[in-house]
Amino acid sequence: MTLTLVHLLPELLGTYGDRGNVEIASWRLRQRGIAHEVINVGANDRIPVSADLYFLGGGEDDAQIAAREILERDGAVRKIINNGGHIFAVCAGFQILGASFPASQNRTMIGLGILPIETLAGAQRSVGEILLKPTIDIATLSGFENHAGQTRFLDEAQPLGAVIHGVGNGLEAGADGIITDQVLATYMHGPAFARNPELADWFLSRKIGVLEKLDAPIFQQLHDERVASVK
Amino acid sequence: MKLSLAIAIGKAMGWLSRITKRGSGVMVTGRIILKLVPTAVSELSRNRKIVLISGTNGKSTTTSLIYHALATKSAVASNFTGANLFAGITAALGQNRSASVAALEVDEMVMPWAIEETKPRLIVLLNLGRDQLDRLSEVRMVALKWKQSLALLPSYCAVFADADDPFVTWAARDCVNVIWFTAGAIGHIDASTCPECGVILNWSADKSTYSCECGFRKPNPEWILRGSELSGPNNQQINVRSAIPGAAALGNAARAIVVAKTFGIDISAASDAIAKVSSVDGRFGKLKIGQTNFRLMLSKNPASWRETLTTSASGPKAVALVVNANAQDGKDTSWLWDVDFTPLAGRTVVATGERRLDLSARLTVNNIAHRIAVDEKDAAKILGAQEADLIASYTAFHRLAKKADR
Ligand SMILES: [Zn+2]
Repeated sequence: MTLTLVHLLPELLGTYGDRGNVEIASWRLRQRGIAHEVINVGANDRIPVSADLYFLGGGEDDAQIAAREILERDGAVRKIINNGGHIFAVCAGFQILGASFPASQNRTMIGLGILPIETLAGAQRSVGEILLKPTIDIATLSGFENHAGQTRFLDEAQPLGAVIHGVGNGLEAGADGIITDQVLATYMHGPAFARNPELADWFLSRKIGVLEKLDAPIFQQLHDERVASVK
Repeated sequence: MKLSLAIAIGKAMGWLSRITKRGSGVMVTGRIILKLVPTAVSELSRNRKIVLISGTNGKSTTTSLIYHALATKSAVASNFTGANLFAGITAALGQNRSASVAALEVDEMVMPWAIEETKPRLIVLLNLGRDQLDRLSEVRMVALKWKQSLALLPSYCAVFADADDPFVTWAARDCVNVIWFTAGAIGHIDASTCPECGVILNWSADKSTYSCECGFRKPNPEWILRGSELSGPNNQQINVRSAIPGAAALGNAARAIVVAKTFGIDISAASDAIAKVSSVDGRFGKLKIGQTNFRLMLSKNPASWRETLTTSASGPKAVALVVNANAQDGKDTSWLWDVDFTPLAGRTVVATGERRLDLSARLTVNNIAHRIAVDEKDAAKILGAQEADLIASYTAFHRLAKKADR
């Protein structure tokens, strides 16, 4: 069986090098000889709902709203979840999956309702290096965040990590992201998988089980350097 | 205080800063003049024909080409060395008061102020794209600032704008007096939604035009550049020549020719002057490090990296890439993943700079064989005696450009 990776709406949600995570996931599979294909789904394409792994990136206001409308059509994202797909969502993609998210001119947009979260407009943008102590059994997480929204849980939920440095979800939660049965989401944008190879493998493992260790020291070096740069 | 006294003090302090090696002195001069006479720029602009040049990429090169074209007829005040904020603009106008013409490079965010203060005759708008994601978060916000400012322009001021760029089009399209230009650029990495109404922007299959259901669309350009042939509204056909390599440079040379024409300069004299400019503020300058003869190139953001990689592809076999992430480079390196480094395949590649590990990770996933060097000296050791391109981000470039042969 060939694994299918889907990059959802890269033209709308891909502001911060988000395609990098898809490329890295694909590269890590290829190094291990795991057959797979990558599909880029554009605004006018039909969304495949029975693929294995989905990627949703960050984007600006208008793009986020346009993406929400497309993803809502035919209940595509609900179908993805019902069909057993796993989603990695970043920043605007994270917010879209919740109950609501803010837009310009003090608007509040209804989200896709997949995650028990809501996002409010923050008083100031959270920009900079972020460091997390993960709630799963992987190394310290390092990322770069750049978002105006602040996210809170509407229900008991597991964050991705406790914030050591930076803001993350904000609203005094001291945490970043969320982990549900089928969604992994974070404010660490762009090359989160480049800096955190263990996070990349953890996400892949959710669908394909235990992965053999990969000998790719550059990613470990990058991880260690980034973590050290903050401390 | 009288303006001439303020300028004299500013120049003296600038000179002091230069001889004590604190800086080039330009910023000090400009800052002091502005401090002593807050209306200095408006006063210094009076009775002068001024052209302002702005955009994310190509400002310095275009300003320099325009300067050289206009200088064939009269003295020109200019700041094409890149000091494009308040102080730099003030200093440029104060340095050369007898010049009746000024060509000023202006930072995108400073445009509203520059327009208000200098009352220009012509505004050249190049492009708007993402640059330093951690600072300028939304391209549309910058476009909106331009749009609001341009809406107040008097009719004697013309806007010469790039129709290929939806953000530029949106900012300029309400102006009374706008001249559109196209160099046939394809697509725009940040323009997936309509700047006017926010729905998805329709791009033609070849990505050469765009339109939206709200009526927003690519305007018909008066000036069209195809290859090196520039055609104008009155059947003009001009062969554009540039000593600076690359398609972007050719586009900027074409723009400079149109500006020269607008200012009543003889086209063939302007073309000759433009064709002689081979390096602007260190871009494409030569620098020998160790045994390696480097050609310096600047790359600031995804759009300029794409451009530079394409230009470099026809250059020497070896290439060193220098990536930093200081404030002026943008502290966020995630843009690396928006650049396709495939044009480097098969070349000898060295990754260096303060963020060489980010770069190396990107190159690895992009399947570009490369080596890592701690700095350019180390890169030169790896490369040895040969010609090589050195493509550097902002802070590394400016450090190295100071030492380069222009
Ligand atoms: Zn529209």
